[in-house]
Amino acid sequence: MSLFETILTVYASLTRHFIRAFLAMLGIVLGIAAVVAMLAISEGGKRGVIDQIKAQGIDNIIVRSVEPTTANASATATRGIKMFGLTKADFEHIENTFANVAKLVPIREISTEIYAGQVKTDITPIATTAELFDLISCTIMDSRTKPFRDANEGLMMPTCYAGIDAAIKLFGHREPLGKTIEIGGTSFTVTGLVEGLNQVRIGGQYNINNAIYIPLAMADTIWGNTVRARRGTAASATEFDIFYLKVKDLAGLSDTVDRLKNYLATSHAENDYEFQVPYELMHAAEKTQRIFTLVMTSIAAISLLVGGIGIMNIMLANIFERTREIGIRRALGATKRDILVQFLAESMVLTFIGGALGAGLGIVTAHSAEWVARMNGDMTIQAVVTSESIIISLIVAVVTGITFGTYPAWKAANLDPLLALRHE
Amino acid sequence: MIELINLSKQYTAGGVVIDALRQTTLTIPEGAFLTVMGPSGSGKSTMLNLFGLLIQPTTGTYKINGRAVSSLSDNATSRIRNQTIGMIFQSFNLLAHLTILENVCLPMQYARIRRSEMRRRAKALLDRLGLEGRYGSRPTQLSGGQCQRVAIARALANNPPVLLADEPTGNLDEKTGIEVMNIFTELNRDGKTIILVTHNPSYERYASHRINIHDGTVTLT
Repeated sequence: MSLFETILTVYASLTRHFIRAFLAMLGIVLGIAAVVAMLAISEGGKRGVIDQIKAQGIDNIIVRSVEPTTANASATATRGIKMFGLTKADFEHIENTFANVAKLVPIREISTEIYAGQVKTDITPIATTAELFDLISCTIMDSRTKPFRDANEGLMMPTCYAGIDAAIKLFGHREPLGKTIEIGGTSFTVTGLVEGLNQVRIGGQYNINNAIYIPLAMADTIWGNTVRARRGTAASATEFDIFYLKVKDLAGLSDTVDRLKNYLATSHAENDYEFQVPYELMHAAEKTQRIFTLVMTSIAAISLLVGGIGIMNIMLANIFERTREIGIRRALGATKRDILVQFLAESMVLTFIGGALGAGLGIVTAHSAEWVARMNGDMTIQAVVTSESIIISLIVAVVTGITFGTYPAWKAANLDPLLALRHE
Repeated sequence: MIELINLSKQYTAGGVVIDALRQTTLTIPEGAFLTVMGPSGSGKSTMLNLFGLLIQPTTGTYKINGRAVSSLSDNATSRIRNQTIGMIFQSFNLLAHLTILENVCLPMQYARIRRSEMRRRAKALLDRLGLEGRYGSRPTQLSGGQCQRVAIARALANNPPVLLADEPTGNLDEKTGIEVMNIFTELNRDGKTIILVTHNPSYERYASHRINIHDGTVTLT
C-alpha cells in the first residue's frame, strides 16, 4: 500500500473512534507536557543561574579577603589590629607581573552605616575605581552622570555613584543626582546612578543595585589609605576586600588563576583569601543543571511510559476488535508488512498528535508556573522553551509510538488470515 | 489451469487428527465453471481455503498455471491472492466503515495502483454490476444482493483470472441468488475460471465441472 493510502487508512480508522483515540493519546499528551514543562523550567533555572554568574563577568577572576579562623595573626599585626587579606603589595605585584591581566580593580568596603533620614539602611558603601563598571554587567544611568573620579581631588567636593535601589531607599522617587549622602561623617554628592541585573552581587558580596560607590582615592583621603576596621570585628582589618581581575585571554584564565594562587600562597602566611572564578562556576552550574534536568526528565519519562502502555493497550483492543478486518485485508492481498505498517502508523500518528498537543500543554503549563510564581513574588522561576526541547519531545513521542505500537502491529500482521476472517 | 497433485489437509482438534481433504489429484482447466458440493463438514471450505491460499496443504502440490504456489513466502502468497484470485464470501465481508467505492478499491491499494486509476476502475466495475451512483453508500445502506455485487466488484478489481466464491448466494433470496449466478455465468463467459462452493443443487446447471466431497474425498463429475 502506498504511503498516501496508508495515511488515508490511518486517518479513517482514527477518526472512526475519535473519543477512543483521544483517550489513548491522553497519556502521551500528559507525559510530553510534563517533559516539556520540566525542560522549560529547568532551562529557565539554568539561564537564571548562568545569567547571574555571567553578570560577574565571564572573563573575570575574583579574589576575596577572608578573615582566617585561626588566631595566628601576630605576624601581620599593626597597632594591635589583626591584619588579613589582600594588600597594596599584592595589588602592585599583580598589576606589574601578570601579563594576562587586562584590568585589576580593587574594592574596599567602607565600614560605616548609611542612614535614610533617621533610619539605618542595609546599603553598603564601597570604595573602588571606575574600571569596576567596565568589568561587571551594569549600566550607568542618566546622561548627566559625571565621571567617576579616580584622582584624589581632595575633600573639596566628595562624590559618589549610587545603585538604583540604594537611591530609591535614600531619596524615594526624587531625583537623586546632585543630592548628598552622609557617609561616615562626610557628605558625598551623588553624581551617577548604577543599574545592574537584579540580585547580582559584586564578588558574590555586594548587591550591585544596593551599593554606594566611592572613588578609592577619595576614600583613601578621607578614611586613610590602608586600613578600615571591619564591621563587627574591630580588632581585625584588611586593606582590600576584593580584587576584581579581567583577563586578556580567556584561554589562559586557568593558568592565571593557578599563578595567582601560587603567588598568594607564597606571599601570605595564612590562607586569608578565596577565589571565585565565574567561568569555572558557570561550568559547575551547567553540570549541576544537567544532572537536575536529567533527573527531572527521568521522572517525567515515567509518565510517558504509562502513556505508552496506554497506547499499547488501546492498540491491542483495537486489533482484537478489527481482527475480521485484518482477515479481509489479508484475503484481498495485504501482506504481513502492509498490516504491520498500517497499525504501526496508527500508533505513531496517535503519539505524534499526542506529542504535539502535549508540547502545547507543556508550554502553557511552564508559563503558568512562572506566572503563578511571579504573582506570589517569586522571580526565580522562569520558563524558557527551546526549540530543541520541542523537537526532542516530538521525537520521543513518536519513538514511544513505535516502541509500544510494534508488538500490537506485529501481532496483527501475524494473525492467521483464515482465523481472522472467521473471527466474529 | 489449476492443479492439485496428491493434495491432503489434516487438522488436529482436541488431539484427534481429522482428514479434511484426502489425497486429491485434480485439474481444473482455464475458463472452467466448477461447483463444489457436499454436506456440511465434508471439506468444501477447506478446499476453497486451499485454493485461496488461506491455508497450506499438509502434503501434495497446488499449482496455478504450472507454478507450485502452496509453499511460497508471505509476500508471494499475498500477491497471488491480490492478482490471481478474487474471493467472494457468503457474508460479503465488506468493511462497514468504508464506502462501497473504497471497498472495491481495497485490492487495488495493495496492488499500488494510482488513486485516480483505482477510482476509475472501481466505478466502472460498480457500474457494470448495476450500482452506478451508489459509490458513496456504506454497505449497511445496501440490500444483501447489492452487497454481494459490491463483493464481486471487489473480487474483480485487479482482474484476476480465477474467482473463488464460498456460498455467495447463501444469504440471499432465490431471485437475488439467480441474479448473482447470472453474473458469474457472464464472468465465466468472459474467460474467468469460477470455483463456486454451494449447497444448492440447482446451481449445478451453471457449471461446466462439478465436484462432490464426502468426508474429504473428492469426486469429479
